[in-house]
This record gives sequence, C-alpha cells and structure tokens, in this order.
Amino acid sequence: MKRLFFLGLFVSLYSFQSFAQNKKQQDIKSIKEMCGCFKVNFKYTETFAPEIDYEKKLDYTSGALEWAELIEDKNNKLSIQHLLVIKDTMVIKHWRQDWLYENERVFHYDKDNKWVFTDLPKDDVKGQWTQLVYQVDDSPRYSGSATWIHADGKNYWENKSDSPLPRREYSKRSDYNVLSRGNRQEITANGWIHEQDNDKLIRKNGQQDVLLTQEKGYNTYVRVPNEECKSAKEWWKNNNKFWAKVRTSWNKVYTTENELQLAKAVENKPLFMHFYDLEKSNATKKEISALIKKFATTKTIENASDH
Amino acid sequence: MRRIIKNTILAVVFLSCMLFSSFVTKKIPEKLQQKVNAAITTAYATESFSLSGVSHTDIPQKDYVFKIITKGKTIGYAYVGEANSMKNVFNYVVLFNMDLSIKKTKVLIYREEHGRQIGAQRWLKQFIGMNATDKPNYGENIDAISGATISAKSMTIAVNGVLTTITAIKNSL
Repeated sequence: MKRLFFLGLFVSLYSFQSFAQNKKQQDIKSIKEMCGCFKVNFKYTETFAPEIDYEKKLDYTSGALEWAELIEDKNNKLSIQHLLVIKDTMVIKHWRQDWLYENERVFHYDKDNKWVFTDLPKDDVKGQWTQLVYQVDDSPRYSGSATWIHADGKNYWENKSDSPLPRREYSKRSDYNVLSRGNRQEITANGWIHEQDNDKLIRKNGQQDVLLTQEKGYNTYVRVPNEECKSAKEWWKNNNKFWAKVRTSWNKVYTTENELQLAKAVENKPLFMHFYDLEKSNATKKEISALIKKFATTKTIENASDH
Repeated sequence: MRRIIKNTILAVVFLSCMLFSSFVTKKIPEKLQQKVNAAITTAYATESFSLSGVSHTDIPQKDYVFKIITKGKTIGYAYVGEANSMKNVFNYVVLFNMDLSIKKTKVLIYREEHGRQIGAQRWLKQFIGMNATDKPNYGENIDAISGATISAKSMTIAVNGVLTTITAIKNSL
C-alpha cells in the first residue's frame, strides 16, 4: 500500500514537473515568435477623458519595417533587439526587450526621468516572465512581470507598467508626465500584435495621480521574408559588439542602486545622440561608462520595494 | 408722513445696495477659473493674459463676463455661464473675437454621466463664427445629438442667450 502511495506521488510530481517544463517551452516559443522581419503599423487614438473640457489630440499613425534579432538565448533569459529599416537601407537602432524567467528584480518609472528598482517576492513570480523594455540608448523604459497564457488557441502576455512619455509625444506634450501602459503582446498566425490600453497621468509629489485621458494603441507586426531586413541584419553584425559593451556598462548601473535618474540632456544633446559619436568611434567600455555617468544619478533608497 | 419717508429711505438704500452688489465683480469658483484660463490659453494661443470682470445689469447673476487682456490690449471676451443638463447644471465658456463673433465654445464642468457628448469640439465647433445676427437653433442650424438631447438643446439656448447679452452690453465692453 505504502509503495503504491509513493509511486502515485512520484508519478504526480513527475507529471507536474513535465507540465511546468512544457509550459516554459511554450512561453519560450512564443517569445521567439517575435523575432524576424516584420512590416509594422503603429496606431494610437485617445479614447476617454474624465474631464469634459479635455480636447482629444489627433490620432497617431505610422509604419516601418523592423528587424527583431534574438541577441541572447539562455534558459532563463531571452533578449530581442529591434532595428528599424527606413527606405530599405537606413537602419536605426530601436527598442530592446529582455525576457527573464522567474525574475525578482524589476524597475518602475516614477516621474521626472527617474526609475526605481525593486525586488518582487519569489512566490509572486513563480512561472512568470519579466519583460524589461529598454530605450534606443539601452537606458530603461519600463518593466513588468506576468504569466504567458496559452489557451483557446491564443498565446499572449499582459501587464501594466508606468513609463515615460512615448517618443512620439516626448517633445510635444507637457500636459502629462507618466504613461501607465497596459501592454498586451499576442502572437498571431502572421506575426504578433502589441495592443496597449494606456492611461496618461499627471503625477505630483505627495498627491494622487490624476488621469488626463486614456489611449488605445494597436501595433501590428506582420511577418515578411527576412530578406527584406537584410540591411538591418548587416548593420547589427557590424555594430553588435559596441552595443554589447553598452549593455554591460548599463548593467553595472542597474545592479548597484535602487534609484536611477537620467538627465534629459548634457551639452544640449540627449543621451542617444551622444551614443552616435561613440558608436562611430567604437568607444571602449570605459568611455561608454563615462558618458552614462554624465547622465545618470543613482542612489540607494530604503524600502524601495514599497514604492 | 414720517413713516412714509422712513420707508422710502429704506427702500432707496436697499435698492442701491442691490444695484451696487450687481456691479461688484463676483468671485468665480477656483476650479472653474482654472478651466476658463486653460480654455483661453488654448484658444488665443497665449499664456500671459489678465481678465477684467465686466459688470452690467443685463448679465444674469450666475454668469460672468471678462475682457481678456494681454500687454494692456483687449484681445477678446469670455462669457462664462451655467445651463441645465438632464438632472444637474453644467458650466460653459463662450469666447469672443473683438468683433463679437464666437471664437470658440467649451463645456468646462459637467456633473452627470448622461449627455457628455456635448463636450466634443466636433459638435461645439458649429457655434464658431456666429454673432448677434445669427440665431442658433437646435435641430436646424445646430445638429441634434442623439442621447444628449436635453444638454445639447440647453447649450444651444444658452449660446443664443449669450449672443443676445453680449450685444446688449457691447457699449460696456
């Protein structure tokens, strides 16, 4: 009888473990589905505003060709670098998304170009993937942890996270200072969809956030032959070593402190523009770190996790 | 005889007080003032302006009229009023050009869920350019809004009244 009990227990544990492994493989497959060459369509429209006198801004629409390259492929970490292809030949380094399995360290955007790094409880991140999104200069943008869902023929991941203003409004708007992003990334038959339900917030010290307006974002990534992104692949081949150095330099900043504030400009230029020069001269890690230091102010804060 | 004189004096004092109080610039609630300022900033594309209250017996007690002044020069007028929605009241502003034609109208504060469509500029822009010679008529030269009939009609009647008032007081502007 005892032997039967242990056999049952063993079979149950084995099935559970194999289910978890299968689920993780499905997650990895979905994340990797976002790699390749895509025709991207960006669409944003403001929807509901609590104040009747708010005048909705015009819709934003744009399109591009984008190459998403898997630059790191480990068991618990995947990293995808996105590159824009303009007029077939011009390549612009775009955003990066890192995916970490059962990760406890995340960052949240506060306001005024300030991010707070916090630790999530181990139990809360069981089976979850953290998506960490970085800007064109590999500085942080937003992050969040959630479970990949594979059900009813759908494969998606959803999360809500605060971020700075999007690039499309960064220099045009000053009536809100935090974008609370509702991100939904769903893998589809012909690519993937990045759907957003965003809140544009006014955040002030010691006061409750004020909702200015809500926004729907609908970005479609339709897979096209990799051949169309040839120039981006080539560009990454020539520049990936430099950007690996940049990531290493940033990682040193992230791992040491709880709070990171970035200057909007130094010598009248934002950080990403300074990187153009460093990229051209294939700067050393030391030079890259020196540049980051000019922009970044870090400090340790107590009870950062309560933030 | 003494009583008649006394009563007459009292009546004169009372009426004078009433008349005086109607000429004293009323204090606009802070939230409403902020919204008026924001509306002016956008419509006249200026952040540095001052408002000078206009008093006149033709201006209803609950309404306000301001001259909009920038660098010592009047650039337009703002009429801040109140009208009925289905179960409550809402506040609006009608902004005027110097020739007393409507530059822009905005609903500033709305206090119920029903009928919020009247806040859309897509509808409100129909009033732009109207002046004393125009008569906004709901369902005729002003489109009806399905689901917001009471508030939309109310706003149309209010703008009609505003045009009448602004014409009547134009010598005081």
